[in-house]
Amino acid sequence: MEWMRRFGAISGLMIAAFGCPGPGGNGTGKGSGTGPNDPPEIKLDLPSIPAKIEVTSSSPTDGNAPDARSPILDIMKAEVEREMAALTKQKDPAHYISYQLLEQRIVSIDAEGGAIINDSDQTGRNLDVEVRVGAPELDNTRALADEQSAINGPLARNGVAPFGDDKQSLTNALWLETDRRYREAVTALGYVRQDVSTLKSKTAIPDFSRSVAETHVDKPAKLVFDKQQWIDRLKRCSAKALKGQATRGTCSVVFQQNTVWLVNSEGSQIQQSWTSAQFAVSVGVKADDGMNLQRLEQRWGRAPADLPPDAEIDKVIATVTGDLDALHEAPLSEPYVGPAILEGRAAGVFFHEVFGHRIEGHRQKDTTGGQTFASYVNKDVAPDWLSVYDDPQLLTLNGIHLNGFYRYDDEGVRAHRVSLIDKGRLLGFNMGRNPIKGFDKSNGHGRRSAGLPPVARQGNLVVETTRSVPRVDLEKMLLEEVRRQKRPYGMIFTDISGGFTNTQAFGPQAFKVLPVMAYRVYPDGKRQLVRGVDITGTPLIALQSIRAASREVETFNGVCGAESGWVPVSASAPSLLIEKLEVEKGFIPADRPPVLGPPGISKTVPGTGNARDGLARPGNARDGLAREEIAK
Amino acid sequence: MKIVNHALFVAACAIAIGPALREVAAKPAPPPPNGPPSKAVTEAILDAIAEEMNRQMTQLEIPGAPKPYHIAYKITEVDVNDVAASLGQATSKRNRHFVNLEARVRVGAPAFDNSNFVVPQADEIDAVSAINLPLEATPRIARRATWLVTDAAYKEALIQLRAKLEARRTGGARSSDVPSWTAEKPVVSEQPVLVPQLESLDELETRAKLISATFRDLPAIRDSRVAITSYLERRWYLTSEGSNVTDTRRASGIVIAASGQADDGEPIGQYFLRYGHTAKDLPTDDELKTESKKLVELITALQKAPAMDKYRGPVLFEGEGAVGVIRFALAPHLGGTPVPEGLDPREAKSFGGAFTDLVGSRILAASLSINDDPTAKAGNGKALIGGYKIDDEGVASQKVEVVKDGVLKTLLLSRTPSKKGQVSNGHARRTADGGAFHGSATNLFVSGRGAVPRAALVQKLIAAAKADGLKYGLIIRRLDDSAITSAPDFSRRELVQMIKSTDQTLPPPAILAYRVYPNGKQELVRGFKMGDIPVTVFEDVLGVSTEITTYNYLAAAESQLQLKLGVHTGSNDEGWVPSGGIESGVITPDLLLKRVQVGGAIGGERPQPVTPKPAK
Repeated sequence: MEWMRRFGAISGLMIAAFGCPGPGGNGTGKGSGTGPNDPPEIKLDLPSIPAKIEVTSSSPTDGNAPDARSPILDIMKAEVEREMAALTKQKDPAHYISYQLLEQRIVSIDAEGGAIINDSDQTGRNLDVEVRVGAPELDNTRALADEQSAINGPLARNGVAPFGDDKQSLTNALWLETDRRYREAVTALGYVRQDVSTLKSKTAIPDFSRSVAETHVDKPAKLVFDKQQWIDRLKRCSAKALKGQATRGTCSVVFQQNTVWLVNSEGSQIQQSWTSAQFAVSVGVKADDGMNLQRLEQRWGRAPADLPPDAEIDKVIATVTGDLDALHEAPLSEPYVGPAILEGRAAGVFFHEVFGHRIEGHRQKDTTGGQTFASYVNKDVAPDWLSVYDDPQLLTLNGIHLNGFYRYDDEGVRAHRVSLIDKGRLLGFNMGRNPIKGFDKSNGHGRRSAGLPPVARQGNLVVETTRSVPRVDLEKMLLEEVRRQKRPYGMIFTDISGGFTNTQAFGPQAFKVLPVMAYRVYPDGKRQLVRGVDITGTPLIALQSIRAASREVETFNGVCGAESGWVPVSASAPSLLIEKLEVEKGFIPADRPPVLGPPGISKTVPGTGNARDGLARPGNARDGLAREEIAK
Repeated sequence: MKIVNHALFVAACAIAIGPALREVAAKPAPPPPNGPPSKAVTEAILDAIAEEMNRQMTQLEIPGAPKPYHIAYKITEVDVNDVAASLGQATSKRNRHFVNLEARVRVGAPAFDNSNFVVPQADEIDAVSAINLPLEATPRIARRATWLVTDAAYKEALIQLRAKLEARRTGGARSSDVPSWTAEKPVVSEQPVLVPQLESLDELETRAKLISATFRDLPAIRDSRVAITSYLERRWYLTSEGSNVTDTRRASGIVIAASGQADDGEPIGQYFLRYGHTAKDLPTDDELKTESKKLVELITALQKAPAMDKYRGPVLFEGEGAVGVIRFALAPHLGGTPVPEGLDPREAKSFGGAFTDLVGSRILAASLSINDDPTAKAGNGKALIGGYKIDDEGVASQKVEVVKDGVLKTLLLSRTPSKKGQVSNGHARRTADGGAFHGSATNLFVSGRGAVPRAALVQKLIAAAKADGLKYGLIIRRLDDSAITSAPDFSRRELVQMIKSTDQTLPPPAILAYRVYPNGKQELVRGFKMGDIPVTVFEDVLGVSTEITTYNYLAAAESQLQLKLGVHTGSNDEGWVPSGGIESGVITPDLLLKRVQVGGAIGGERPQPVTPKPAK
């Protein structure tokens, strides 16, 4: 069973929202009921004002700087041509070769409780070589019909590559890895052909789609930051974060400088270079019943200078520590089915998990996959005022940095905006180079982290609506719905840490998302924070249960993990009113709290000394130990 | 062991200065000045840990369950600079620096406690818990970490004790009057042990690039790399019985590895490995270049060399070959700590144990004697880095006479005894399932009476082969070390095949060997697999050499197969000097053994690359 990995244990950005003119008229919520005993479908009047979305973008061809071209591209080009000249003439011919060389500097600094606990600055190079043998119609990458363990697939491996641009050492590394991958591919193709020859039904869908040659050169990006200043900031930050109920308070940054050179046998020669910056505040405590509570907030930027100033960081600290204290006092919630609001960032994560992963093209082809949306193309799957697209070319949305920006994907294809749902109707898929029925070309969504084969992944997922109401009205609509459904309360989810979704046919086509901040909202408007709940459901019903959207749009930035590794992504959405959402009791691990109270950590534990002071003891604690100097 | 926080451990390394390489022996040079003491583990940190230990010892108790009777902490600070290069260009360059706190808790009583027992279906429950500490001394965090790891280890100890009792009741484990834990005098030694500063990453990079450049423009070499490391490892031990000691290890090392492919497709790999206390102990740049050229010549010759037939007869283990046979066939049996109860019998085989209960008996040829000396800093005039002041149970190191004139005098012991009245002799180093430290070899000095020059020993080999009716005798000069020669050349299918079909208990293959014919001609042969080498082969030693080889190595917990696969699984970073395992040294003469069985090619018949190696 293949469960998609978490959308990163990440929180996003709270952003201001703006009104925006849009087409007039009223709309109605749309969707089928969930069963014969459901209350009748609700019809809400929604003003024909779209949710506010203002974006900036950059085309893949922007910033092309041919003068900054590295000789590495020439070295890679020469070797790919030399290899193709030889390997295409073999009995099992190569039909495609791709070289991708990633140079990555990662600066990682963590502070906890006022002290630095990690300080690393590492630079590495990784070489990924893809050799496809056979023909695009049938090659070594085709999955065996009933093979679950992927033993026929390429081995995940970090290829060693030298630094610098020395021709001999780089070419030797390319040659070695090409030889290894070619040999691996020939073996795999033998098994594929044998497998196909024994199958009754044979697919006519090819294994690979060709693409046009791309040439692009980014200027080399350079990471600029004052390390000591950040160390000081993180120490101050983590000391402040350790307050209230928190027994763990961590502040951290991860700065990256990436340069990727990609050359393939189609003639593409691409040099991309960028920096990124990530800041996080994380606090945690164990609840009295043993549940591990944590609250995390992150900020992202294209450079360290984009990260927030101290004053804003103080606000973030206040938010996470305040939330954690509240969670510590919050009661556990019971299973629930009823109306709910997913606030902007939570709605973004919800769409990423419930819809985004299932709209990754290759999943419609996998014979062991659920293929949830394969038969829904050109059919209605959501309200007619709701559209969804994925656009890696977006830089910002409503002024907020988007994490899923890139110019060319990891298969050398230009990043395209993809309309996934248009006015409620399913139109397409995020595609890599693995074609599916009706979609024979990549739209530039083949992505991976180093060492893994790329597959279709999300970039910047955006949910837009042609009708919306102000956020405050959305909550009024929720309360009306609570009364209509005769529920004791509705629910609002403001923060979701991540989730996972099963896409394998063997298991239920269900999703689970993991809220951090979940509130009951009673008919009188009173809010009550609860904990220990997960949102669950199935994707088609969930999408068709959306009844209204807010005008304000929020963005969740993070990194997403799946079979091709971790890739940066974003998901932007308005707050959404869901007619019926199922909430189940979350997993709470067996609690085995420490036998003794903390050593002066918490004031709440009696008889354990001074709070946060393990030091205020006279003398040397080891003085009482026996002393017998060993012989020199 | 449950790792509360991920703890990357880099243990130790080895030195290798053999007779074949005497011409490149380290030259005396003043070591670099000592560096400062730890900034991460200060007096305040140790006080915080000790204070929490005292609290835990006096207060830790679950109603109805036994209290801890012994708590031990090992704090380890590791600081490593590593650089790897290929063909004159760096392929990696990094520093790793971390501090780890490890707690061990014992419940019951020394006569019978939870330790050295593998809980069925839960071998991670071993009464050991670890967590990382900040690099910046922060007593509050250290104390809190101590609280958590002690608590976690205590709970595991209770489960382990219950399971051990249950196993004894049901006959699943032995019952005896052998205590679980020996009584030892507490040891105190608080003075920091200062060692020379690490060589900088830039220094290492310059050297790795220089040496690796010697492999440029060589069509016979498929792949090559040079990896250089410089590290230190500070340790502190605190125990509830009053031990309070610190020690520091420091080493620098270099690996040169290269590979080619024979005409019939078989992969061929060779390596060169040296360690010293600092870079001053390593060969000079010119000497390393010479060694690199020798590797190239060897690989070139092996590409044309004949494959080895199956062979059973006398074998002369020469130089590093003698070290190899001691390392893989004899040293594992010298530990005297009992195999963990409940351990899978297949895994138990890796513990050796052939000499258990044989103290006082003749186990080797009467000409052989063995001492193990962790206090030695040099062997045969060469620097040794395998020594230590304090073992992993806080016991002072001791020189031990293991075998005298072929008779077993004592085994290498930890505080987990194998019989009543036994005490540790300061050799607790090896960790294993069940949580106990096991006695293992450190610097193993093998000596033999009646030594003759190497040339004379070869004549003895020829005579012995002739007496056995063989056409030739066999000299083995190097065994493989998968931690060094492992290469990412396998597909997923090939990996599965290897895992399923490899006997992990066999010694590694011989990668440098010669047939010796009656006329004295020596013929280089392709590498081959070794058969099983039982300890009884050391009873029939036909001769030893006057030449002595000093070579240290890492006694890895993993099998050679696991190390070979490590490149793929991420546990063994390709290109690094191996940094996981127990520092161990062998100082030995060449050994002519009467009967050893070998045979079988190492690699398969891989196709030659379709595209020729790129020209310069």
